Parts: sequence; structure tokens; C-alpha cells
Amino acid sequence: MMPILAARAALRFGPPALGIILFLAAWQAAHWHYGAFILPSPWQTLSAVFATLSSASGWAALGATFGRVGLALGLSGLIGGGLGLIAGYLWLIRATLAPVATILLGMPATAWVILTMIWFGPSHGSILFTITIVIGPILYIGTVDAVLTRDRRLEDMATSFGASRVARFHSIALRQILSSLGPVFGIALALGFKVAIMAELVTNVAGLGAQMARARAHMDIDMALANVALAVAGLVVIEHLVIRPFQTRLGQWKRGAA
Amino acid sequence: MSGLTLATISHSFEARRVLDTVSLVIRPGELVALVGPSGCGKSTLAAIAGGILKPDEGRILRQYQSHGMVFQQSRLLPWANARDNIAYPLTLGKMTRAQITERTNAAAQAVALLPEDLDKRPAQLSGGMRARVAIARALVVEPEFLIFDEPFAALDPALRRRMQDLVLSLAEARGFGGLFITHDLTEAARLSHRIAVMDRQGKGILGSLTPPDTPRARSEAQIFDYTRNARNDPLLHDLVNVDERALALDCACDTLGFQRCC
Repeated sequence: MMPILAARAALRFGPPALGIILFLAAWQAAHWHYGAFILPSPWQTLSAVFATLSSASGWAALGATFGRVGLALGLSGLIGGGLGLIAGYLWLIRATLAPVATILLGMPATAWVILTMIWFGPSHGSILFTITIVIGPILYIGTVDAVLTRDRRLEDMATSFGASRVARFHSIALRQILSSLGPVFGIALALGFKVAIMAELVTNVAGLGAQMARARAHMDIDMALANVALAVAGLVVIEHLVIRPFQTRLGQWKRGAA
Repeated sequence: MSGLTLATISHSFEARRVLDTVSLVIRPGELVALVGPSGCGKSTLAAIAGGILKPDEGRILRQYQSHGMVFQQSRLLPWANARDNIAYPLTLGKMTRAQITERTNAAAQAVALLPEDLDKRPAQLSGGMRARVAIARALVVEPEFLIFDEPFAALDPALRRRMQDLVLSLAEARGFGGLFITHDLTEAARLSHRIAVMDRQGKGILGSLTPPDTPRARSEAQIFDYTRNARNDPLLHDLVNVDERALALDCACDTLGFQRCC
């Protein structure tokens, strides 16, 4: 039994561990080649990460970025997801919003950073707006697609047993829609982090991006890389603590049904 | 009383008329098989009988309190286990948890589902077990009338036969009437009191055929002889000879309309 479990664990964790080791080895080799001024070693970066995490300002920056992304994700979910739900069911709304969604999706995130800075000034609100306006259309499109691709024959089944419109939506449609939205939320979260850091960097409002701007100004490559590592680590942690359980809880059946 | 009357039913999907003044009367306790070539509108008529679709024209007279429906490809909720799938129709009403559990267990027992299978999801069940779950789900509402829409079309012949036997024994034990949609003449001859033949273009019921004896008492030899002879009946010409390649691509066998065709 034990050798089987060990073999399964090796198969599950071995390849990802090998990938991480290869990445760190390449990083270390590049560090040796270019020197610490251009590229600090993984160990130096880890030390800088611990230095950041041992200070209150480091945690404040981390909290500010994560808080903004979380808030923006919630807002986007409410606005983009809500509109997507309505548009998925009503073709007139869908047809009306289709070009708007295309335009918003086509807008570069940097353009929004500049525009919101001009409109609202460098503030928490402007960053929140930027993240929301960038990921909102993604959640909108994802929700519309989830509504349209649901298995409507299941709703027919429910109708034959006398299910009301509300009961059909609640017990059948919503379950399918939410299971399709898991990966979309994952993409939106990752994009939200990128946009948040970029906006903080440009506006110099407290957060990981602002820390990077400071590190750039001081030519502190260790601190710059530490902030990058913190952002990536934070994203991975949230992905595994929030998005993956959400996907597992609502979308596990899709893997089984395939 | 468990009869069903469909009077001059007409229905169109967008501009295409799928059913044109179709009338069918099913007497209380009678199991009627509706046969016809693919794309003739059988499933659309079943959907109308089951309350899924509202006909553009015509009247439906239901002489029963509740009906159950068994679909092609089972239509089980893929995220729910067999127990929850069976219980689903009851959760739509105002029954207590204890009542739902009791009725669910009784329905599962009626179709001979094993207790250990009740915790499995549809993807973990075989085709035959999925069909049993779908039948149990229809039985759980204690229907007086059952509508079967080609429920065993995807099963292999041996399994299909066992499912047919299950339907026959349940019909005898519970005395429900029903409408059984199929394009398999042998299945129709095995299960039904009467076989109604639908026009290939959905323009009404061409006529009815009555196999000998009652379904439960009918022997294999009787079914074989009847099916062989019936193939020469002019009523069944389209069922036996229609070339499915000549049918329009946008057949009307799916209640969602012909763009999402089976």
C-alpha cells in the first residue's frame, strides 16, 4: 500500500517540483552569468522577501494590493457577471452590449491607467476603477457564454416535472453557469493582479506596484524582484485557497462527466 | 382515470411547421407506442404532452393528476448522485426531507437499483443504471401517466430488453397509462397495447395497429410474427423504408428547435 501511495505522490508532485527546480537552476545560472547587480540570486531574493514581510509597511503594501484586487473582483463579478446573466437570457441586451464589450476588451490596460489617473487622480479609487473596468468585460463575456452553453435539455426535464422558471434557474441553470465561471474567475484574478501592480506603479499609490516604483528609483533590484515574487506567491496562494476550491466544489462533475 | 387526449395539435419551430393538426387519444391505463421515422415530430409531440412545449394550436386534455417523463439519454443532473437525481422532482414541491427520502428509496427499489449505486454520479453509472435512475425519477412522483421519449435508444439490445421488461412489470404493478415514443417496431410491439403511426412530415397520425393480446401476456413468438407481418403494412411504409439521408438536416426531434438537433 505504502509504495503505491509513494508512487502516486511522486507522480503528482514530482513533475511540478522538477519544473520549479529547473526554473531556479536557470535563474541561478543567469545570476552567475550577469552578476547580482543585474539579477540577484534566488536566495538573495528570498532574503529580500523576508525583509519585506518583517516590516509593517511590507504587509501594508501587500494588503493594499490584495484588497484592491479582491474588491475589484467582487465588483466585476457583480456588474460584469450580473449583466452577463441578464444578457445571456435576453438577446436584445446581448446584441446591444456585444460591441460595448468588444470595445472595452480591446482597450489596453495601460490606456485605462492613464485615463483614470487624469479623471480621478492617483488614488485608491482610480486603481479600483481600472481593475474593475479591465476584468469586468471578461467576466461579462464568460457569464454570457456560460448561460448560452448550458444544457437546456436539463431544464426541459425539470419543466416536465412542473418546475417553475425560478426553480429551473436556481436548481439547474445556475449550477451549470457557476461551474463554467471557475476558470474565468481564475483568469480575471491573474489579470487583476497584473493591472493592479501596473496601476500602482504608474500612480505611485501604496501597494506592491508602488514598492516596485520605489525599488526602481533606488535601483534596488533585490527589492524589485522581492515584490515580483510576493505578487506571484500571493496570486498562487489565492488561486489555491479561493479559486481552486470554488472550481472543485462547482465544477468537479464536469471532469467526471467528460 | 389516466388518459390523455391531444386534439389537433400544431407546432412550429420558427418558420418550420413540425406538427400539423395531430390528434391522439390514449385511454386510461393504455400504453400507446408512437412510431414514425426520425424527424417526423414524435419527440416534439412528447414534449407537448409532457408540458415542456406549449403547442401553437390545439388542446391537451389530461385525465390525471401527475405524470412522469423518461427521456432519451436519461437527462440526469451530472453533478448530483443517483439518489438526488431520483429525488429531484420531489424537491420542487413542499415535501419534508423524510417524505422525500422515503419516496426516493421506494422508487429506487422499484427499479432494482442497488443501495451502493445511489451514491454514484451519472458519469460513474453504466447506461443501464442511468436508464434505471431516469425511470425511478419518473416513478418518484407516483405518476398516473408516463411519457417515454425513446429512453432506451442508446442501449445495447440485451439491456434494452431488460429495460422493456422493467417498464412492463412496473406498468402492470402500478396500472399507469403511457405514451412510448420509439422508432423501433419490435419495441413498440413488445410494450404497447396499441401502436400509433405518425406521418413522416408530422401531418397527423396515419392510423393505429393493435398487436395481439396484452403487452405482458404477449409471447416472443407473437412479437416476432407480428413485427415481421407488420413490416408489410402500408401504414408502416415510411418507418421501414424512409431514407434518413432524404430528411432535412434541421429535423425537429429536439424541443430546443431544429438548430440544436439530435
